[in-house]
Amino acid sequence: MIRYSVVFLFIALEIISLILISNNKGYQRSVMLSSGNAMVGRMYEMTNSFVEFFKLSEANDNLANENTQLRNRVVELENKLSTLTDTLNSVSWKNVSVSPEKEYSYITAKVIRNTTHLSQNYITLNKGSNEGITPDMGVVGEEGVVGIVKSVSPKFSVVIPILNPKILISSKFKKNDYSGPLVWNGKDARFASLNDIARHVRFSLGDTLITSGLTKTFPEGIMIGTINDYNIKESDAYYNIQVKLAVNFRTLTHVKIINYKNYREQSVLEQTAADEGKKK
Amino acid sequence: MVSALQNILRFIFLILIQVFLLDNIQFMGYINPMIYILFILLLPVRFPRWALLISAFAMGLIIDVFSNTAGMHTFALVFAAFLRAPVINIFTSIDEGSNPTPSFHTFGVSPFIKYVITIVLLHHITLFLIESFSFLNLSLIIPKILISSAITILLILAIQSFKSK
Repeated sequence: MIRYSVVFLFIALEIISLILISNNKGYQRSVMLSSGNAMVGRMYEMTNSFVEFFKLSEANDNLANENTQLRNRVVELENKLSTLTDTLNSVSWKNVSVSPEKEYSYITAKVIRNTTHLSQNYITLNKGSNEGITPDMGVVGEEGVVGIVKSVSPKFSVVIPILNPKILISSKFKKNDYSGPLVWNGKDARFASLNDIARHVRFSLGDTLITSGLTKTFPEGIMIGTINDYNIKESDAYYNIQVKLAVNFRTLTHVKIINYKNYREQSVLEQTAADEGKKK
Repeated sequence: MVSALQNILRFIFLILIQVFLLDNIQFMGYINPMIYILFILLLPVRFPRWALLISAFAMGLIIDVFSNTAGMHTFALVFAAFLRAPVINIFTSIDEGSNPTPSFHTFGVSPFIKYVITIVLLHHITLFLIESFSFLNLSLIIPKILISSAITILLILAIQSFKSK
């Protein structure tokens, strides 16, 4: 009898594990059992402050570079603006407004947990819903796209990076606007593959790939990577393209979360339209 | 009593080493050794099997929480723990009445090595197969299993050989 009860216990425990695994497959999952959990998050934050010390100089260089670029951009825009205000009269100038899909702001956060060697990687950040982060927000680094926020707790959030086959990033060629989904192949943290690019599309090695702006997560034009290699079989209709990712996930320390102001309005509208479509 | 305390400390210590040290070291890009299985390996031979399963479950769950792998380590570790008793019976002949702690000394060098290799392989194969359910790629998984197991086995044997002196 005791022999059998051990077997039953074994089966019960394995079933619980399987339920946990299958619950984890969905897009949303319990924050309780992940590194978004407050206690686990705090422990990682502690060890991370230690590790971060060694990455400081590199992070510093990157920030300095970005700073210079931004300053240049500010000067450029200021010059344009002053020439424009001179030519336009002040009345019509006040009516100029930003187009609604471009109304977004950034929230900066620090990476406190990051893996690149698993077949499904996750990143934990040190900011959460207290700072206004919600699931499905886009996450970018200094060089380009990092991933999408998956779940949030008050103080932490968990990001699915490009290095996880669970997400697709809608991307397009900068030069000709042909778009396709970018997905990770599970092998190398430096590369991902671009699918659904048809045979007739013309492109070459080194071409730049940017976000398509067709999802609410990323605005158009954020750098993703460059074409590293491609091939196409005689019988295939689509190219097999290898993309070198712009972001170095091994040294990622700080990221920016994109807070799209009209997210709610746009999703509600799209949802209503889809629901009405179903009824008819 | 001393042995119970020793095992509890080992439980905590192995989790800390695994999560904060080994999970951050990535040999050759994607291989990380899983030393935490040593806890299951070193429990006394006559440790009640139900308690063995429960402690394996607890340990797996903690590792899963830290590495965002909900359930995968738990499944593999409970599986390895369940097969521990049959594996010990195959490689050793221990008297009904005695209750030794597995080591080079109590099992003998060759049976102990076989025991470690078998359990680590069972655990790693289960873990990597479960992890790869979403996209099965054998040419990627088999080297991953072999190299990770080899490193885990070498680490465990090295630690144990220091202890026996």
